Amino acid sequence: MKDGNHSHANVLIPDVGLRVKALESLLAEKKVIDPAALDLIVETFETQMGPKNGAKVVAKAWVDPAYRKWLLEDGTAAIGSLGYIGVQGENMVALENTPEVHNVVVCTLCSCYPWPTLGLPPIWFKSAPYRARVVIDPRSVLKEFGLDIADDVEVRVWDSTAELRYLVLPMRPEGTEGLSEQELASLVTRDSMIGTGLAQSPSH
Amino acid sequence: MKMLTTAMVPTVLATGDPARVDIEVTPKFKAGDKVTVVNLNQIEHNRLPAYIRGKVGTVTADHGVFVFPDTSAHGKGPKPQHVYTVMFTARELWGEAGHPKDRMYVDAWDDYLDPAS
Repeated sequence: MKDGNHSHANVLIPDVGLRVKALESLLAEKKVIDPAALDLIVETFETQMGPKNGAKVVAKAWVDPAYRKWLLEDGTAAIGSLGYIGVQGENMVALENTPEVHNVVVCTLCSCYPWPTLGLPPIWFKSAPYRARVVIDPRSVLKEFGLDIADDVEVRVWDSTAELRYLVLPMRPEGTEGLSEQELASLVTRDSMIGTGLAQSPSH
Repeated sequence: MKMLTTAMVPTVLATGDPARVDIEVTPKFKAGDKVTVVNLNQIEHNRLPAYIRGKVGTVTADHGVFVFPDTSAHGKGPKPQHVYTVMFTARELWGEAGHPKDRMYVDAWDDYLDPAS
């Protein structure tokens, strides 16, 4: 699913970019928006938000049991303590993956996603096939992402239909006992925090 | 309309757009309660996914009081109410197609839920 989605219904039609540009020019001419403010918003998303932030949250939870407990009890406060706050991160819930439970997140209504910790969502997260299928057949979808979920593991699918935003806390990979928090963070992938992947092993 | 300036951007992005409201509203449910999802089919904006309508689930968390999008999106006021996470078994939603171990968690406003009979 990740790379094989060529449905035209799920990609931006080329002239959308032109229409956005036209709208932007018009709104700027009418002094409704300041193009410099728009540039700053885009720059903030490009340079300050993204899965590197979420990875730091996960790595800290792996090495610090008190932080892990706080994160699971009050995700918004624990994540906010690292500076990851704001739009689409106002109400955060962390979901802990264990050998018995695998969590995966979707937004069936649109594309709700925790921006401060993960940045903007990947195209597949917004695609109709992912949103429709992960709900009714999560195990097949996860298999397409390369995840084989054992029959005795419970799959929990979380649909962010309201104002809560979810961050999966993936399991710490084996053989990472000697790694620093920073080294651990480099093993945490975006997909592992959505639940469509696992954290990488150090030999990866 | 006030124009968003570069000076305002960091504050706006850091503050977000909290839909949570700090007022007392009596919750209809608590964690552990069994609920039936209303069979809502209104044309106007709502945040109730079709696949849980009429289904029975269990409240697992009360997240506090939030603005209700069904009314606020139409200029009919915030109608603040509790938002819960409701758990459904895959079997309840999908019948035999659902894996017996799997669970679906959906966030729902008070107005979307009735006590399960």
